[in-house]
Amino acid sequence: MAQPLVKKDDDRDDEVDYSPFLGIEKGAVLQEARVFNDPQLDARRCSQVITKLLYLLNQGETLTKVEATEVFFAVTKLFQSKDIGLRRMVYLMIKELSPSADEVIIVTSSLMKDMNSRTDMYRANAIRVLCRITDGTLLTQIERYLKQAIVDKSPVVASAALVSGIHLLQTNPDIVKRWSNEVQEAVQSRAALVQFHALALLHQIRQNDRLAVNKLVTSLTKGSIRSPLAQCLLIRYTSQVIRESGVNAQTGDRPFYDYLEGCLRHKAEMVIYEAAKAITELTNVTTRELTPAITVLQLFLSSSKPVLRFAAVRTLNKVAMTHPMAVTNCNIDMESLISDQNRSIATLAITTLLKTGNESSVDRLMKQITNFMSDIADEFKIVVVEAIRSLCLKFPLKYRSLMNFLSNILREEGGFEYKKAIVDSIVILIRDIPDAKESGLLHLCEFIEDCEFTYLSTQILHFLGNEGPKTSDPSKYIRYIYNRVILENATVRASAVSTLAKFGALVDSLKPRIFVLLRRCLFDNDDEVRDRATLYLNTLGDGSVTETDKAVKEFLFGSLDIPLTNLETSLKNYLQYPAQEPFDLYSVPKEVKSQSLAEKKAPSKKPTGLSAQPAAPTSAPDAYERLLSSIPEFASFGKLFKSSAPVELTEAETEYAVNVVKHIFDSHVVFQYNCTNTIPEQCLENVTVIVDASEAEEFAEVGTKPLKSLPYDTPAQTFVAFEKPEGVSAVGKFSNVLRFTVKEVDPSTGEAEDDGVEDEYQLEDFEVVAADYILKLGVSNFKNAWENMDPASERVDEYGLGPRESLAEAVSAVISLLGMHPCEGTEVVPSNSRSHTCLLSGVYIGNVKVLVRLSFGIDGSKEVAMKLAVRSEDESVSEAIHEIVASG
Amino acid sequence: MLLAVLIANSEGNILVERFNGVPAEERLHWRSFLVKLGADNLRGVKNEELLVANHKSVYIVYTVLGDVSLFVVGKDEYDELALAETIFVITSALKDVCGKPPTERLFLDKYGKICLCLDEIVWKGLLENTDKDRIKRLIRLKPPTDF
Repeated sequence: MAQPLVKKDDDRDDEVDYSPFLGIEKGAVLQEARVFNDPQLDARRCSQVITKLLYLLNQGETLTKVEATEVFFAVTKLFQSKDIGLRRMVYLMIKELSPSADEVIIVTSSLMKDMNSRTDMYRANAIRVLCRITDGTLLTQIERYLKQAIVDKSPVVASAALVSGIHLLQTNPDIVKRWSNEVQEAVQSRAALVQFHALALLHQIRQNDRLAVNKLVTSLTKGSIRSPLAQCLLIRYTSQVIRESGVNAQTGDRPFYDYLEGCLRHKAEMVIYEAAKAITELTNVTTRELTPAITVLQLFLSSSKPVLRFAAVRTLNKVAMTHPMAVTNCNIDMESLISDQNRSIATLAITTLLKTGNESSVDRLMKQITNFMSDIADEFKIVVVEAIRSLCLKFPLKYRSLMNFLSNILREEGGFEYKKAIVDSIVILIRDIPDAKESGLLHLCEFIEDCEFTYLSTQILHFLGNEGPKTSDPSKYIRYIYNRVILENATVRASAVSTLAKFGALVDSLKPRIFVLLRRCLFDNDDEVRDRATLYLNTLGDGSVTETDKAVKEFLFGSLDIPLTNLETSLKNYLQYPAQEPFDLYSVPKEVKSQSLAEKKAPSKKPTGLSAQPAAPTSAPDAYERLLSSIPEFASFGKLFKSSAPVELTEAETEYAVNVVKHIFDSHVVFQYNCTNTIPEQCLENVTVIVDASEAEEFAEVGTKPLKSLPYDTPAQTFVAFEKPEGVSAVGKFSNVLRFTVKEVDPSTGEAEDDGVEDEYQLEDFEVVAADYILKLGVSNFKNAWENMDPASERVDEYGLGPRESLAEAVSAVISLLGMHPCEGTEVVPSNSRSHTCLLSGVYIGNVKVLVRLSFGIDGSKEVAMKLAVRSEDESVSEAIHEIVASG
Repeated sequence: MLLAVLIANSEGNILVERFNGVPAEERLHWRSFLVKLGADNLRGVKNEELLVANHKSVYIVYTVLGDVSLFVVGKDEYDELALAETIFVITSALKDVCGKPPTERLFLDKYGKICLCLDEIVWKGLLENTDKDRIKRLIRLKPPTDF
């Protein structure tokens, strides 16, 4: 056979054929380990055997207790050999075997001898081994040597002792804390690594003493640190001190900022990056402080090292969330990163650009992304899709190009998670941007024509059934839906039948034709499809053009007011204990059982999980509404207007964790107290909250719903309801006491004792504020909405907001006071601007739409003035908004 | 914390794996995740060209050297830059021990020395030595020359 004409490489040939560990077997190696016991030690052979043992251990092989002990004892014999290479191997082997406490005693004397040896290297290694295998009692014996070693003139010995100290601090903090003087001396060492290790240990020793850390940082930032690694540590400690000390109120200066800025000019890249990162993470960082950090990060963006590019773009991405304007200078550099070899870098660049982009740059950006999307993996695509979704919500006027982009990528190849992210995004856009509805629905229809995922098809059909009939021309969707009945699997066919029925119920003119289609479904070969068709044919009427019964519509569109998990449990129970009578839907409990604490805490550390979190099945308001309507006492309160975010009433890590959700109805408010018992030895019963409303005059308590039992780690709710004048945004302060009967629980059996003791637990106060009566609701085109509102309802006034830190701070304060939805990205204030206009929209209690136009101005002395213009469907509401601002 | 140092051959078989502070039950996940990451991205990559990824607060920097691929995983202070430093130390120590970017055979031949190098570089999850000449001396129990 013809050989290619290349120079033959002898050892290359061997390499292919033979591995030194080929066929290696634990038993055989353990046999070989007997050479350790030879009276005449063969150092080379012993080293080889240790290598084999290490190879086995590194491959995940484990030794039994007996085997490990045997090997360990044999290895200790090797201390007799004077061979240096072998001794180094022995140190490593002992560490790998990590002998148990009763075996350690065998080697301690040998190691202690080495620890006092004249050879530096024996000392260093012996310290490391001893610290690895030692326990508290032995440590006190060797403490004296360790303290000496920390200030040893050999840097290897000092480093060994210091790094050992860092590890020992976890197990024996009291002993290590006594070494602080020596460690302090080591911080001044001339050897870079000693300095690094000493600084790390010193900080760990003092980390709970704020004053000491402050002193440490103050003295070291003056400049005695040479090692770049230590410098990075110092930067981290400095930013911690800055976080805790805040800004100097008089001068507006931030302590140590000059030091951080100085580090931006350091010669080591890691120090520069660390300082830039620290600056971007400062709380309430100003544009002036941010600029130099952004400048160096911008330089890193065009570095030849991928790691630097990644670090820079990742940091800028974070900055873009809070200070998008500060990052815009880097946009050109980031655009060139879209074609970066490393896809992580490219994705970060894209998502940053999407955050910083303004309305005019959207189209250009989309063009670039289109080229980019074809060659990245799904998990990156999902990130991009999510960024585009938020961009679209920010600039609703741009929905056309963004929606087109989403529909284009929907047609391309992709996995389930990716497609789901796109579909979810389109659904959200349809919901939030009314103008996007028709085109969005058509995109979804086209997608289900060729969709391989049953889950997505059924989800879209369900959505189409709810939204399609309300469009201007519902008939155009029928073709897509009926195609499903002909072409798809049984699950999709069944949902298509339901969707058809919904069109029939809502669009009277279509009803006769829908009936024709539904009758065809009666011949389907699947039971469920036939059942559904029969059901709908019988409920929708006689097939003539007549209005559908209200009850039928309720049946088709109303939500199932039973939590699905409860239904599932009840059905499972029913199947397990079969009964004569049929399953009764009303027997299913309606109370929402919260996820237990343990489940919540379960870490989701799957390393492969680069994919997005699954979307919540129902939104929080839906769940609240269902929960409240299931409680008879509150059922008469009418429609839930708004539920607040939970307000914590206890500190973290207390015995009982309680937060409150404020539910606002037209003439009632209901406080939902979510309680968690974090003591395993207790079970609480008859839990109520006693509310003192003396500082909330317009509220009168009308009922409470106590919680029967609150076992450990299972959150549950108790409620208190108040009456208030209808349609009025009554405000007030409420103080709360948790009252309950506490019973001891035997942790081994989990059973509670019969007798309990009554007890109380003081909770924090909370307030009902004006913003609780305003619902956030965006409008797609603020200008149109404003002009369509009656100008007579407009109320304008001017307010002085006093001296403020910045314009942005004033804007966000007013937004949170009113609790309204910022429109068209106007909540972001460009840096350095002296004036700003912010547009807000919302719904006031009583379902009154409100629009707000805020114009801010700031002068040289940071005095902020604001002009507030309100238009609403009801003049009194416009006035109410002014009152909120005037009293806020 | 340096959570893991992993060295695999070109087929994804593990040659060295050292975990720190990673629970035993998660190690298998990490191993297969890293090997897959390498299989997906390392083809055609030049020696020592660094690739980087992150997942939540955990960073991964990886590369190839000769026939072996190297992965280091870290969190907190061991961000991508610190890991790049770590992997640089490991690759230079490997080249030093093997005399060139190693073939798998060469790597296994020098296995004992490589274990010693890693022992000098990473100490229970902390980076200890960063200079290859110093490491070279340390594994022979010679005191370093630099101060």
